[in-house]
Amino acid sequence: MLRPIDLTVLQESSVLGRTNPLVKLGIALGWLIGLGLMHDPLRPLALALAAVVAGLTLGRIPSARLVQGLAPLVAAAGSIALANLVFAAANTDQAARELLRIGSLRLTAEAVMAASSIGARVVAIVATGVVFAQTTDPTRLVDALVQQARVPERFAYGALAAYQAVPRLGQDLGTLRQARRIRGVASGWHPKLLIGLLVRAIRHADQLALAMDARAFGTRPRTAFRPLRWRSIDLAVGVGGAAIIVLVLLA
Amino acid sequence: MDRVADDVAFGLENRGWPLEAMREAVPAALADAGLPGFERRRGSRLSGGEQQRLALAGVLAARPSVLVADEPTANLDPSGAAAIFEVFARIKAAGEATLVLVEHHADVAWPLADLVLALDGNGTLIAVGPPAKVLARSRKRLVEAGIWLPGDAASMAKSGRGSGTGSAGDWAGRAPLVETRDLRYAYERGRPVVRDVHLRIGAGERVALVGPNGSGKSTLLRLLSGLLRPSGGIVRLNGRDPGRLSAGRLARLAGFVFQDPELGFIENTVADEAAVGLESRSIDELMLRLGLPLDSFGTRSPYRLSGGEQRRLSVATALARSPSLLLLDEPTFGQDRRGWEAIAQIIDELVETGTTVIAATHDLAFARRIATRHIEMGDGWIVADEQVGAEAPAGLSATDQAIADPVSQPHRKPRTRSPKRTSPPC
Repeated sequence: MLRPIDLTVLQESSVLGRTNPLVKLGIALGWLIGLGLMHDPLRPLALALAAVVAGLTLGRIPSARLVQGLAPLVAAAGSIALANLVFAAANTDQAARELLRIGSLRLTAEAVMAASSIGARVVAIVATGVVFAQTTDPTRLVDALVQQARVPERFAYGALAAYQAVPRLGQDLGTLRQARRIRGVASGWHPKLLIGLLVRAIRHADQLALAMDARAFGTRPRTAFRPLRWRSIDLAVGVGGAAIIVLVLLA
Repeated sequence: MDRVADDVAFGLENRGWPLEAMREAVPAALADAGLPGFERRRGSRLSGGEQQRLALAGVLAARPSVLVADEPTANLDPSGAAAIFEVFARIKAAGEATLVLVEHHADVAWPLADLVLALDGNGTLIAVGPPAKVLARSRKRLVEAGIWLPGDAASMAKSGRGSGTGSAGDWAGRAPLVETRDLRYAYERGRPVVRDVHLRIGAGERVALVGPNGSGKSTLLRLLSGLLRPSGGIVRLNGRDPGRLSAGRLARLAGFVFQDPELGFIENTVADEAAVGLESRSIDELMLRLGLPLDSFGTRSPYRLSGGEQRRLSVATALARSPSLLLLDEPTFGQDRRGWEAIAQIIDELVETGTTVIAATHDLAFARRIATRHIEMGDGWIVADEQVGAEAPAGLSATDQAIADPVSQPHRKPRTRSPKRTSPPC
């Protein structure tokens, strides 16, 4: 029987998985700033390619999983690019070079350049984000944020709890919709679903807060069960990530 | 905090324990809670019973002097519940902590207790004292308040059963109400939760679906009612694919009581909730019998009811359209004796009118009381399917044994099955 690939194993064994999440976060941030300086479609795509290759090799993400994570977001990037292409201001500029005219729709070379650049930058952000998410154990990220980045623990663990509650709320929504159907009211979207969902969200939050309180959360300075230290792998990956963005910017 | 060890360590980190102490305490607490060697497992992949023991380990790790447990065996299968009570028995024997237990399960809780506090519906104290004394002195008032007493579950399992409908001979030859062939379902690819289920259930049959947590009972109920589309195979409800019926037609055919009743509510007041799709039945009388009279409960929000009240309300709403098939997912969890009896009686009457009842339950007393057919699931398969008519001998029949000791849970101790130990003759 074929079992679905468990990313958590890779998050412990691969190079990117063992890299401190803060280093990866720093690289992603650096790349994001670099992307803001690019106005052509090719360099962002090179960066996206670098992220994907790193994810597949250093992160050992199975290609099917990576595609599964990327596909909807890349499709979104495509639609952003399309909207920018059709509604670009350059299309009404008589000085711009016309490429194509369909009825009243006039597409110009300048618009194509701007739209493809925007689309490519979104693709690069998406690729970086997906590789980061798939190689990072959320608990490790929060550990690193609290222990090394000195983020307040109430905020960090609260965010982690909220993040982990999302799938549960998704299941609840499914059941709420099933309940409407079996009781003979239309099974599509209805504002009352939001009331049910809100009640569930409050219940979950309530239980979670109670469980955390019952375990003395926030009563005194915490110690760490898994203390994190900077290691050479963090330096290597950090330098590599910085080198890539510098090279791409200089290209 | 998905890693088991991290979860157990969370409370210790919060208390500022040094690392070395935590490294000793975490495995010890896991062993105490009956999860030795589970450190590196993922919490989200554990069974319901294991998750509850994990929660217990997280509390035990800090060596508390008082341990409060609020219905700790909520929705656990009998072996999972027995494992939790074994941990409690060990804590008690070691004298390590004061245990405060909020519990309906008298058969397991009373033998454990040094002191019993019984409250009525308004939170007024009825009795307090050692279990034997409380029973001897206040039995009548405890019964009046609808409180479960040791031995009740066994005696109520026998009462009222076996009105004779729904035996195999009655419907053989007729088209079954529910039929499945090669029914399969997987939430994730490669992880099937229902596997190759073949079932024929006739009109008027009363079926108990039993089996450990995660064996696929709830998923099967949702497949039978068309709320989930099968990954493979077919489901027929009255000859039609329930997944393709309109909501209105489906509601007339099937009613559903969800495991978490709150997820089944669609209106803002109890009265509106009870009136959704109401056709023939007199809802006032039904609500009164379920202990939710509309003149006092009608204007309240369904979300503000107690857990037991919510569950009874969801039973009422499932009956509004007089469906031919009633599906119930753990209908008796959190019910006091009175609520339990009300639900069991209503099911008895429904069956008299020809309604088919399928209940997924861990409550073996309830299964024995309402069902003439026990279908046991294990790891997505149907592992046993037996008729248990009124002619079955009282006490522990072979079927009862099969249900009480699912093959996949061989470590179950028989302790929970000796309820008469503390009950005086009456």
